[in-house]
Amino acid sequence: MAEPLLAIKNLKTYFISKDAEVRAVDGIDIEVQPRQVVCIVGESGCGKSMTSLSIMRLVPKPKGKIVDGEIWFNGRDLLKLSEDEMTDVRGNEISMIFQEPMTALNPVLTIGEQITEVLLRHRKMTKRQALAKAIEMLQFVGVPRASEIVHEYPHQLSGGMRQRVMIAMAMVCEPKLLIADEPTTALDVTIQAQVLELMKKMREDFNTSIILITHDLGVVADMADHVVVMYAGQVVESTDADSLFAEPTHPYTKGLLASIPSLEEEKDVLYSIPGTVPDAAAFPKGCRFADRCPIAQPSCREKMPELREVKPGHLVRCDLV
Amino acid sequence: MGTYVVRRVLGMIPMMFLITVFVFLIMHAAPGNAFDAIMNPAIKDIEQLKQQLEHNAGLDKPLWWQYVHWLGLFVTGNWGFSFNHHVPVTQLIGPAIRNTLILGILAEVLTIAVGVPFGIVQARNPYGKFDYTSNVVLFCLYSVPFFVFAIFMIYFFAIDLQWFPAQGSTGTGPGAGSIGDHLYHALLPALSLALVNSTVYSRYTRGSMLDVSRKDYVRTARAKGLDEGRVFTKHVFRNGMIPIVTQFGLDFGSLVGGLIITEGIFQYQGMGQLVIDAVNGRDYNVIMATTVLIAFGVLIGNLLADILYAVVDPRIRYD
Amino acid sequence: MSENLLEVRNLKKYFPITAGLLRRTVGHVKAVDDVSFTVRTGETLGIVGESGCGKSTTGRMIMRVLEPTSGEIVFDGQDITKLRGKELRAVRPKFQMVFQDPYASLNPKMGIEEIIAEPLIVNGVNRKQATERVIHLLERVGLRADDRNRYPHEFSGGQRQRIGIARALALNPKLIVADEAVSALDVSIQSQILNLMMDLKKEFNLSYIFISHNLAVVRHISDRVGVMYLGHMVELADKRSLYADPRHPYTEALLSAAPEPKRQGRRERIILQGDVPSPANPPKGCPFHTRCPKVMDICKVERPALKQVAPNHLVACHLYN
Repeated sequence: MAEPLLAIKNLKTYFISKDAEVRAVDGIDIEVQPRQVVCIVGESGCGKSMTSLSIMRLVPKPKGKIVDGEIWFNGRDLLKLSEDEMTDVRGNEISMIFQEPMTALNPVLTIGEQITEVLLRHRKMTKRQALAKAIEMLQFVGVPRASEIVHEYPHQLSGGMRQRVMIAMAMVCEPKLLIADEPTTALDVTIQAQVLELMKKMREDFNTSIILITHDLGVVADMADHVVVMYAGQVVESTDADSLFAEPTHPYTKGLLASIPSLEEEKDVLYSIPGTVPDAAAFPKGCRFADRCPIAQPSCREKMPELREVKPGHLVRCDLV
Repeated sequence: MGTYVVRRVLGMIPMMFLITVFVFLIMHAAPGNAFDAIMNPAIKDIEQLKQQLEHNAGLDKPLWWQYVHWLGLFVTGNWGFSFNHHVPVTQLIGPAIRNTLILGILAEVLTIAVGVPFGIVQARNPYGKFDYTSNVVLFCLYSVPFFVFAIFMIYFFAIDLQWFPAQGSTGTGPGAGSIGDHLYHALLPALSLALVNSTVYSRYTRGSMLDVSRKDYVRTARAKGLDEGRVFTKHVFRNGMIPIVTQFGLDFGSLVGGLIITEGIFQYQGMGQLVIDAVNGRDYNVIMATTVLIAFGVLIGNLLADILYAVVDPRIRYD
Repeated sequence: MSENLLEVRNLKKYFPITAGLLRRTVGHVKAVDDVSFTVRTGETLGIVGESGCGKSTTGRMIMRVLEPTSGEIVFDGQDITKLRGKELRAVRPKFQMVFQDPYASLNPKMGIEEIIAEPLIVNGVNRKQATERVIHLLERVGLRADDRNRYPHEFSGGQRQRIGIARALALNPKLIVADEAVSALDVSIQSQILNLMMDLKKEFNLSYIFISHNLAVVRHISDRVGVMYLGHMVELADKRSLYADPRHPYTEALLSAAPEPKRQGRRERIILQGDVPSPANPPKGCPFHTRCPKVMDICKVERPALKQVAPNHLVACHLYN
């Protein structure tokens, strides 16, 4: 395979306070190939959002800290860059969109100001050129009346339109990597479908790789080339999308898939994974899923299973499969 | 926006009416009247003279008649004579308003010019050394009543160092009454008011800026590659000022209270002094005129703050 | 078929829009515009739709926390639309509500026992009996008796939703309106709550109105499903019939837009253009005609009535005339 665009190696992001050390991301490895859509899927608190903020080096300070690991992007380790060098990367080579388009846009600045700001930062352009480019980009992402919208404020737009604006803003410098953190969770299903289509179009037209963070396996099935399943700060399964849905292997992945009610088939009783996620400040020493796992053995609680290849390209963190 | 302002101004009319009724009743419920205060007890037939004077002033008529009579004259611009100063009320009030406006505006400008930047510096590095130590200092300042400051200031800056006048609103001699002279006299009282108020504003500012800096759109701004300076000026500051503007509007009433006391301490010839003198001397016409104007000022101030609020926050629309 | 527990007839909720100096009413937001349906005893009626379609407003009117503009709500043979004061309080225990955000709907300063016992005490149950009932309910919803001495912030989202359900059950209601009750929960927790709700329904002989934007969840829990769009009920049918053979173009689009967690045999997706029109200015004729892929001339003029096109399958669409 070609050189990956992004390679995360043994990333650890902790939240350190006086009385606790919360291991939000605890030693993960993820690779993203050029033009690939990688979905990171997991439930709240699994560390998926912190992973994305770690790539951007925007982990909330002062408590959050990247304590170990490497993030190789385009031949450079992002964690070794100075803050100034990193600001040249953000919004330019890697950009990000967030869950709540309502709160992710500044309420007191016009749409135009917020988009041109990116261009003025990363491109040598006059304000007028930047505004023209912003309008062009808005038209490209399907915002109607783009030349008027640039003078309007976020609250004047619907949720779906705001997310299109966010996408326009993120893509305006044609980044190599787009990180989308739950971009459609706050949207209605028909609007979600529009936004997902738009993201596919972005990948086609700009050759952008996408890291899509989501809790929705339906979105994963729709979008992903490769899927990384996270649980309690770790990668528990990593494989191409087809084999994930055809042969889910980790008991957690299986449990998740069985828990989702289906649109197409009748299920009398839904499977439900018993219990809750372990506390990130006090992880057990063995497998972190053992307490909720239907096939757990005493040995699972003794030793942390390694992420191992069960089939070519299919990694699972479980010793029993 | 236009209809909103009209509606608000129209809404002030019943409010002003109720305020005048209320002040009128309180005023007449207080014992004594202007003539009790000024008459020499040695005069012969004092009771008869007093009745004569009260009759001339209409004070023997029923209260409702007096009120309607006053209101009728007041709205037509006839604000009556001062019992004590023997000049038309309007003549007394003109310079007093000017002086109070100078003092009030100067005090507010100083409050904001000190408090807001201070809060911003604290918020830029929260929970750091500067934040902690300055918080302790501010808290101490805040705990001291402002009139105590006023007295200390008079002692140090006026009496000891002789940098500023200890009292009055204008000087004598050449240059008296110029803008510079007015500001020179207003500076010390304004400073004593501003010092304590600015501690409050620095707290608001710090809290508001910190609150905003945790917002999603600030994270978005960083994700765009903006440097910290631009993130602050463009994204944090403007949003952080919105609650400060609101607070500014709410503070108008308490600013008036502070002005009255400060003017008393500095013997500053403003509305505050005028009100206090008038109340002490039961100078009915002056009391009514000054309270109406002060109430009007507070209401207009609140309206201005609401309009300003809509200016800084495009989400606020009045219609 | 068993008798009707709830009959809703021609229910409307118009919120006035005011403007000008005298705040004259210049229009209405037609949040719910002429909706009729029934809920049979022991049945779960699902109501799906996107944000702003009026599904929550409908739920709140049935709960009598929001005054209908017009229409009738007949509960258990009694017209409750006009009840006030004492009479309303007498019937209130019979219908209860479960909310989306269990944290916002539980008073943080009240202990769990107080929260659950409050409706009992208000209705004249003595302390000792109330405590016994609280313990019984907590154990029934999967919490421990000791939990009654704790406070809402000590619980996870799923546990809080269990508390919310226990509170709703305290007075032995006949009908529970669940408004997005599992929408804020992670998949594995969502299935736990859905299973619990289905068990409780059998055990306590409940009827549900289950309001949600999630079509798969609604399919799983409901017997019949109503689809709302812009304040109107556009389709109302038995679950099997609705999901296997959706008649209304909106329902079709909605179903096709919801991503299923599978890779093979995915349905063709219908992507609707544009946003939902504002309920303050709804289109003339069929509310859906502005986005409908099968729009005809008549749709722009005349509003279609909800009528039967197959057994237990009602549709409001001119295609079926």
